[in-house]
Amino acid sequence: MSKENFYNDISEAIVNLDEEKAIEYAKKAVREKMKLLEVIEKGFAAGIRKVGELWEEGEFFLPELMRGAQIMQNCLDLIIPYLHDASEKISHGVVVIATIEGDIHSIGKTIVATMLRAYGYDVFDLGADVPVEKIVEEAIEKNADIIGISALLTTTMTGQKKVIELLREKNLANKFKVILGGAPVTNTWVEECSADGFAENAIGAVRLVKSLLDK
Amino acid sequence: MSFQDWLKDDSKIVLFDGGFGSELIKRGLESGKIPDILNVEQPDVISEIHRSYYNAGSDMCQTNTFGSTPLNLSHYNLENRIEEIIDNALENIKNVRPSGGLIVGDIGPTGEFRPPVGNVTSDQWYSSFSTQAKLLEKGVDLWHIETISDLEEMLAAIKAVRDVSKKPLIASITYRMTKRGFFTIMGDSLEKCIEALNNENIDVIGANCTLGSKDMLKLLKASKNFTDKPLSIKPNAGQPVVKSGKTYYEQPVEEFANDIREMIEFGAKIVGGCCGTSPKTIKEIRKIINSL
Repeated sequence: MSKENFYNDISEAIVNLDEEKAIEYAKKAVREKMKLLEVIEKGFAAGIRKVGELWEEGEFFLPELMRGAQIMQNCLDLIIPYLHDASEKISHGVVVIATIEGDIHSIGKTIVATMLRAYGYDVFDLGADVPVEKIVEEAIEKNADIIGISALLTTTMTGQKKVIELLREKNLANKFKVILGGAPVTNTWVEECSADGFAENAIGAVRLVKSLLDK
Repeated sequence: MSFQDWLKDDSKIVLFDGGFGSELIKRGLESGKIPDILNVEQPDVISEIHRSYYNAGSDMCQTNTFGSTPLNLSHYNLENRIEEIIDNALENIKNVRPSGGLIVGDIGPTGEFRPPVGNVTSDQWYSSFSTQAKLLEKGVDLWHIETISDLEEMLAAIKAVRDVSKKPLIASITYRMTKRGFFTIMGDSLEKCIEALNNENIDVIGANCTLGSKDMLKLLKASKNFTDKPLSIKPNAGQPVVKSGKTYYEQPVEEFANDIREMIEFGAKIVGGCCGTSPKTIKEIRKIINSL
């Protein structure tokens, strides 16, 4: 079987949400000492990108999106220990993500975290109802590239702005890119907060993180 | 007149209330508080909002118990206070209910999803809704299960209510509009949801939240193809806009009310509003209903 066919099979297994096959392919790639980064990029990542596209088009829904990302993650967990070579370092960047203090809506934030992991980012998910100070502390400690803050309530979204204000107070505004998420967030709000962007859904968030880190 | 009489009377359009959370925000609801605890902490504010809707012309208003399930309250460490919260909610609305006005027991989603999105089971949903329904039963005239985004969660809620109550029941799901039509975020189509609800022991099929009035009108037209049951709609007043840290809904009241007029013409039996609508919106709709 050609490499290309193998990559296509992997991608299809992810799109079909066929965990058994996807795991089998991950093990095969490790066993046969294939170029694992290439396997991830052209096989697994291609599959999860397709899942994301299907979700955006309204063909897939939350259960498929989450299942696809989980299968992807399980496969990566198998492969990553075998990426010995430093040049094969997989992380595309470090993201610290949280739902803001006072807001217990975690689902959107969890989906974004799962998708970012599936796309190869190191994600530290601090959970929901996280105080402003804690978010900033963790970002410093984890040496984050991106801070993602979710707020589902119009009453709690002011906390997103407070994170950016605290970063400014600490002269850290240029160290991190801050992105916002949640149903009430709009471009106007992003501008008012001087945040670096917002995304309407998990795939948009991945795109946003990628574009900010590629700059 | 009872709710069942209204349903039988072809000339009657039932006017529901409008948004509750957005009214609380106007009155300075503290960030991160679940509105349900205000039944205990600020009963006067809750009663005043109910009163403003009844005064604006609502035939029926719902209790401030959207999040009063053990599962949802546990996110705020309030699950042990559920009885106090619901008893107060009933008191707050009973105090201002006008003669002839009805009280609707409001049941919202638990905030917990089934796998692979979350970890909750149908039994846990059922048990949580059952606790809420048992506490509400003594003080309500009918039920509204609303803003549910998973058909399975809706079916668990209906079973829980039906196991404790024979009162009329409105079951409202919240839909997104996709390129392929209306779906819940869990992937159930409008047709699938309505067909499942047709087979349940409920009185009215509804949709609320997520969609603004323009999209809700399209949803209503599509719904008519799938059911003969009466339909209820409570759309949002467009999407919220935040300026200087304050939330605004910019859709003009008249525009919203005109869409509601069209929905009535297309057969909506129960109309009202969800997020961003206010007593002003209800007043405008009342004028329209009275002119029909």
